[in-house]
Amino acid sequence: MTRHSPGRRTDRLSRRAFLAAGAATTGALAGCIGGDDEDGNGNGGNETNGDEGDGEPSSPDVVNSSNAPTTPSVEDPPDAVYLPTHRESMEHLETVEAGEYAVMPMLTYPHKFWLVSGTEREAVTPDSTGVHLMATVWDAETGEVLPVDTGAQLRLTRDGGLVDQRAPWPMISQTMGFHFGDNVPLPEQGTYTVEFDLTPLGGDTVRKTGEFADRFTEPRTVRFEFEFDQEFQESVVNGVEYLDEDRWGEPGALDPMAGMGGMDDNGGDSGGMDDGGEGDGNGSEGGMEMSMPFSDLQPADAYPGEGLGTPTSGDAAFVVRYLTETRLTDGSSGYLLVSPRTPYNRVPLADMALSVEGALEGELVQTLDSELGHHYGIAGDLASGEQLELVVESPPQVARHRGYETAFIEMPSMGVEVP
Amino acid sequence: MELPDPDEVSRRDYLRSLVAVGGTAALSACLDLTGDGGGDEGGSGAPTGDPAERPARQHAWNDALGTDEDGNPRPPEHHVVLALNLATTPDADVRKTVETAFRSLERAYAYDPAGLLFTVGYSPAYFEQVGADQPVPDPEAITTLESPEFDGFDAVVHLASDEAAVVLEAEEALLGEVDEPNGVAMEATLEGVFERAEPRRTGFVGPGLPAQHTGLDGVPDSVPEEAPFFMGFRSGFAESQAPEDRVTIRDGPYAGGTTMHVESLTLQLQTWFEQDSHTQRVSKIYSPEHGEEGLAGDVGEKLGTSTGVAGEIAERTERDARERGMVGHAQKAARARDDDGTPPLLRRDFNTVDNEVPGVHFLSLQRSIDEFVRVRTTMAGEDLAGEGVGQRLNNGILQYIFVRRRGNFLLPPREDRALPEA
Ligand code: HEM
Repeated sequence: MTRHSPGRRTDRLSRRAFLAAGAATTGALAGCIGGDDEDGNGNGGNETNGDEGDGEPSSPDVVNSSNAPTTPSVEDPPDAVYLPTHRESMEHLETVEAGEYAVMPMLTYPHKFWLVSGTEREAVTPDSTGVHLMATVWDAETGEVLPVDTGAQLRLTRDGGLVDQRAPWPMISQTMGFHFGDNVPLPEQGTYTVEFDLTPLGGDTVRKTGEFADRFTEPRTVRFEFEFDQEFQESVVNGVEYLDEDRWGEPGALDPMAGMGGMDDNGGDSGGMDDGGEGDGNGSEGGMEMSMPFSDLQPADAYPGEGLGTPTSGDAAFVVRYLTETRLTDGSSGYLLVSPRTPYNRVPLADMALSVEGALEGELVQTLDSELGHHYGIAGDLASGEQLELVVESPPQVARHRGYETAFIEMPSMGVEVP
Repeated sequence: MELPDPDEVSRRDYLRSLVAVGGTAALSACLDLTGDGGGDEGGSGAPTGDPAERPARQHAWNDALGTDEDGNPRPPEHHVVLALNLATTPDADVRKTVETAFRSLERAYAYDPAGLLFTVGYSPAYFEQVGADQPVPDPEAITTLESPEFDGFDAVVHLASDEAAVVLEAEEALLGEVDEPNGVAMEATLEGVFERAEPRRTGFVGPGLPAQHTGLDGVPDSVPEEAPFFMGFRSGFAESQAPEDRVTIRDGPYAGGTTMHVESLTLQLQTWFEQDSHTQRVSKIYSPEHGEEGLAGDVGEKLGTSTGVAGEIAERTERDARERGMVGHAQKAARARDDDGTPPLLRRDFNTVDNEVPGVHFLSLQRSIDEFVRVRTTMAGEDLAGEGVGQRLNNGILQYIFVRRRGNFLLPPREDRALPEA
């Protein structure tokens, strides 16, 4: 495959070479670079090189053992969504379709992310050469991103031999929303083939409603190839774009990636959040016309029914609506719809355990509706003046890219009242 | 596969690679090595045996097995699961030949892990061929996360021994490639009755063995030295295994026999060891309580003969999913125990590096295949997904295991092990 084949577009949002940026700011950075995060413990044997960051920034050495650039990280970030120091660049492969699914694979350098189990967070630091491989999966018909852990798996082969097999983590990132991804070690440069298995959506994982009720029932496999070479390694590292240093760690989020559809406007309407978006250069400068949907939810006022407010917990906004006329129940009762999302970019927060106490009691069921999108719901009747308590039993069990790792972990209960 | 270079690997590792490679060349390399080490009665130097000493149930191994320091049965170190296809139409003479071949093996090796433990099983395809009712169903996908291949061959022989040379030699002797295994003549072989089929499954189990495979891509250096299994923890505690009685068929033509399911899995060890912390691993393999309270120790050495998941911890599985966002593999699986607390499966799984990727051949005995399916479904925990854990994520060890292949077999009682008719 040649550098400029259509399957090989690099998202170069920035024309600023990493090297230049790094050199320009090295001196000023020194005070901002913390040690590693407090939770970067016990991560078996990665004290070696390749620790992406959190050390002295230096010019990128893409032939080191992990081809991860040394980027600064925000010292002592707030327990909230915050602006990281930089925006990553990545290579988009061509969209592949299989059955009802469309998948866009993306590649960048191995980088740090955080796993979440219960309320525990575990930093994953890259420690070997390879790629950070990602895939966004959406409904080929409606363009709706399917934002729950479907147990996807992938097999990586080279010359017909199995190199790696893994279940990529369900993840959220400010620029990509919900996707699957992992750092994948690659023994050497060359052409790799990926078979990505999509498992049926539903069962007990998520209730499907509306047009989705009978869909996504077949397992499918998509195949794609990528080239892992020096050129790729350099281009993703050189494409790193720094934010102005005085914004690092500020409340806010990077804009979704250029070309991602659906972002009518950024922040502002996600339930009365103030606009803490990245603000500058919303990514259109590269002129990329990629058609990949972004997993954003509708703003609060776009939902049907009565608004019960948009309380927040752990920096997530919870859109709470009470629907009386709805196909989401058997018709004999109303429906409490709760849609937790990230601030600014309205990325759905999947795979959490949510329940309600008070005037209505029970566990909310994770639901994916063809019109209302991802939410948690429970059937029941409510009357004006009644009080409810929304209880987050466990926070969203999705891995986090930088800037999301400190939010959505400690999530106290929220009180709401039916107006 | 080529023979490994003995100068580049440890002796034990070399022996295990020879089992994986198989064949007469591997066998003679193996005998060369073990010949100068141990006994010198010729051949593999293992104790010889007497067919009359063997119990009526093929799967009755526990009496012969040694125990670990806590008193748990210790599985044999080396395993080969030999796949066979019928090459002739069974009749009384053929049956006699087959039985004679097995009895020859029983004379060549003692009923002991230092000798040879083995079982002979038959697949649905076999019963169809001989026109008998199928006592076991065709294998099927059990969970939504898999699209496995299925064993379609006719018969299977599971060979197990603490001696690498014994499993290799017994395999070759059955197929007529070695005349006098362990110095004892084969009075008949399976040659002409069966021919070798695919896949040949091999493996090993025991403290320290997995860690010796860290040269292989996919096996990180961080596999604990003392771990008996690739995922780094002890398994097969006496208390969580079905007694042999519990897996024995009670009535009908195969009373005294059992059923065997073989599920071959690939493991993702790099993620397991290098992304998760030890506490997370303990939580995911046993239960979140084991992780939080430090109940397991490094590799499960604190657990004695029981993980303690049965009862309260298993009952709390759903609550742990919702409130802790994580459930343990053993905790989940223990929900499938009998009302009186007896586990329904006798697990005789072992590690493998077949195809040069780390994996497990999860070999399980149970009274009926239905019971396996029920326990496997419980272990998959799809009922928990969306309740604080994902289909795979934080749902026991599902994030790290990939089902490759399944097979179902009937293991008749020993007296009917040669080409059963009904
Ligand atoms: C790579 C694969 C696997 C590994 C590493 C593994 C590991 C373990 C470990 C460490 C235990 C706890 C120790 C013990 O109770 O002996 C356990 C228990 C158990 N596992 Fe697995 N296992 C695997 C696959 C499976 C599969 C495929 C099944 C299928 C049903 C299964 C069923 C069970 C059962 C039933 C228990 C006992 C639960 C009880 O206490 O009742 N395991 N396993």
